[in-house]
Amino acid sequence: MSRKSFPFRSTGGELRDLDQPGYYAGYSTMAQKRSWDEATRNVVSERVEKTPPIRFFSPEEAAVLGAVIDRLMPQDDRSEARTIPILPIIDERLYKNSLNGFRYEDMPADQEAYRQGIKAIDEMARARYDQAFAQLTVHRQELILKSLHDGKPNPEHETWKRMPVHRFWALLMEDCVTAYYAHPWAWDEIGFGGPAYPRGYMRLENGLPEPWEKDEQAYEWNAPVDSVSVLDEQGAPADHASLHGHGGSH
Amino acid sequence: MIAHRLGSMQTLPAPMRHFDETETVDYCIVGVGSAGGVLLQRLARAGFRVVALEAGPFWDTEKDWVSDEKGSHELYWNDLRITGGTHPLALGANNSGKGVGGGSVHWAAFAPRFHPSDFRVYTEDGVGADWPLSYWELKPYYELLEREIPVAGPAWFPWGDPHGHPYGPHPLGGVGDVLVRGCTKLGIRSVAGGPVAILSASHGDRPHCIYRGFCLQGCKVGAKASTLITHVPDAITHGAEIRAHAMASRVSLRNDGRVDGVIYIDRDGKEHFQKSRAVIVSGYAIETPRLLLNSACPAHPHGLANSSGTLGKYLMAQAGNVIAGRFDELIRLYKAPPAHALSEEFYETDPRRGFARGFAVQTVGPLPVAFAKQMITAMGAWGWGLRKVMMDYNHWATIGVLGEILPWEDNRVELAEEKDQYGLPVAKVTFNLHDNDKKLIEFGKAKVMEIVRAAGAKKIVQESRFAHLVGATRMGNDPATSVVDKFGRTHDIPNLFVCDGSILPTQGSANPGLTIQALAARTADYLIRQGDAIFFSNRRDQSEPGIRYDLSPPYTRFKGNPRIA
Repeated sequence: MSRKSFPFRSTGGELRDLDQPGYYAGYSTMAQKRSWDEATRNVVSERVEKTPPIRFFSPEEAAVLGAVIDRLMPQDDRSEARTIPILPIIDERLYKNSLNGFRYEDMPADQEAYRQGIKAIDEMARARYDQAFAQLTVHRQELILKSLHDGKPNPEHETWKRMPVHRFWALLMEDCVTAYYAHPWAWDEIGFGGPAYPRGYMRLENGLPEPWEKDEQAYEWNAPVDSVSVLDEQGAPADHASLHGHGGSH
Repeated sequence: MIAHRLGSMQTLPAPMRHFDETETVDYCIVGVGSAGGVLLQRLARAGFRVVALEAGPFWDTEKDWVSDEKGSHELYWNDLRITGGTHPLALGANNSGKGVGGGSVHWAAFAPRFHPSDFRVYTEDGVGADWPLSYWELKPYYELLEREIPVAGPAWFPWGDPHGHPYGPHPLGGVGDVLVRGCTKLGIRSVAGGPVAILSASHGDRPHCIYRGFCLQGCKVGAKASTLITHVPDAITHGAEIRAHAMASRVSLRNDGRVDGVIYIDRDGKEHFQKSRAVIVSGYAIETPRLLLNSACPAHPHGLANSSGTLGKYLMAQAGNVIAGRFDELIRLYKAPPAHALSEEFYETDPRRGFARGFAVQTVGPLPVAFAKQMITAMGAWGWGLRKVMMDYNHWATIGVLGEILPWEDNRVELAEEKDQYGLPVAKVTFNLHDNDKKLIEFGKAKVMEIVRAAGAKKIVQESRFAHLVGATRMGNDPATSVVDKFGRTHDIPNLFVCDGSILPTQGSANPGLTIQALAARTADYLIRQGDAIFFSNRRDQSEPGIRYDLSPPYTRFKGNPRIA
């Protein structure tokens, strides 16, 4: 089986090796960096130019978690040069033990949660398919992860009796999106305006683009045919509510 | 030397006064947030010798802040806290601040007043508690702070005690348009363009808003108010000292039952003692009770000023459910301030609804990382599904419920066994929803979904969450059921005060920032009026101080608060 899975557009086949996925072709936030303030320009440029080394995870752990991240935040459609680093960002956070201000009373510390969770996922793969997680087909990897997403680990594993699986899932997903959607290439993908100081925005209503933004050029985008990580139109299971850091809203 | 910037035009007055450690100051304030900043400014202007200890940095907004979600992580209190209960609160981002300005640095800056009924919740509804003061006693301070901040908003705000605002409303963004459209379809009154603590026109050395949408990452422009830029500069000009990176570990108690200063740890781990004639703790709803609990001593074995046993109890968070709707047309929710339109039509108790108190409906504007997190919880999105829904980011509008959760004894702050980097026991926070809260949330959620649907959303999802933290050092007239009196003075110790969101007996459905600052200005007036009596007497004078209009920062003594009726 293929080690990769590609989304496709209804009229035009597989989307692969793209420099810029999404509906905003030709839009680049980094092209605007000269109009950003210096502190912001430095922080965002460093994110693009420098990838931190792996220092917290062992090579074995990094191999498992890398394969997990490839399914949680798949980038198979992105060209190699335009792949957004996620594993190194999570590794850096844990290496520095940079916390988010709290720990649920039924959870171990973040560092420990990752070590236990990675071990459990790899052991689940070996128990169910007699293969390391990283060696499984994309489909089998997704099936194991979906069982964690659904809160019904298959196969069962003793780790999830000690550590609530929905909290581990949320921890992992939040760290993944914090790396991915903090990257300017992801901003280009979703059409987010990015930093705007000192210039600001002038077209506030009706979803209109600034002169330097692009209008949406939508097309029908579909997940790979056999993927199980498609949106559940019924919304989230009840125990997925209210898990993450509540930053960003009111 | 490059000037220390406070917003794009203002600079920190230099040099800042430095008190010698052996010098006894009049007031030592712990925490420079919404309350601490206002207190410091007032007391310094009135001529008191004041030192404030701030656990975080003294922000230079141009150097330290960025227009970037991930890069703004340091604005929050990220140290370890333990959270539990049936509905554990997420802490850190959103409901905490660390650094001069505290949480006012990253608040969305909605600045509504509480309603008159908020001060009489027990009398009117038989739940919660009454405040030891009425709305009408606080009203002049609301008006004063609305000018000092200053607040922009509609000329006619129809709910509670109807009022206007000194600065005009902001233009409408895409999310505000959805709120107004949905409410209008359903015959619900709404207002737009405020009330927000964001400048709609330039003011003194602060420019107007540029609508870049990064309010929650700290306003580099200096248009959004934080005490860092509204009150701290004036405090420094008038001789106050702020010691940054100073983590208070204990309030020190003398044998005669009065406090005599604060022990703190500097950034190198060295312990210091700042002697003072009186102490004001302004550390907000978790750090204030934590410091007082950590200050337990033989005379106060259960924590300082805790003879009532209520210290740490009656912690409140507001229901903050976010309802996200997907529209066929583009919204681009990242533009304009996240806080810019609201309705308080459901704020008061309506017996037909089957629960006490109510909620507000407000715009929110999550940037990509925050929105992705909401999609993880609201839609269970992951993998390709998450990539797909995020590609539609610009089609979504997000509207929040801001619901009043009542004060319950079992919602509390205690000390955990774990220690932080200073060796101090960390806070353990327990939060449970009760029947009234659950009914209120269900109703609020359904109502906001109705509004978003009426505005034309084709798909609607919601995420359960909470916003703001208040209570845990309750204010009241009865020393048996509260920690501080109506001026923030602890019932047990005559020269120890608490002034921050932790003293709120109930929280209403209004964002607490303006109320916290109004209470701080009132406490300052009381302290100034009492003068040396605070330092040398145990007598408790409960008479009203009378409002001082001569202590405002520069440029803010203009006429305002229009009421068009």
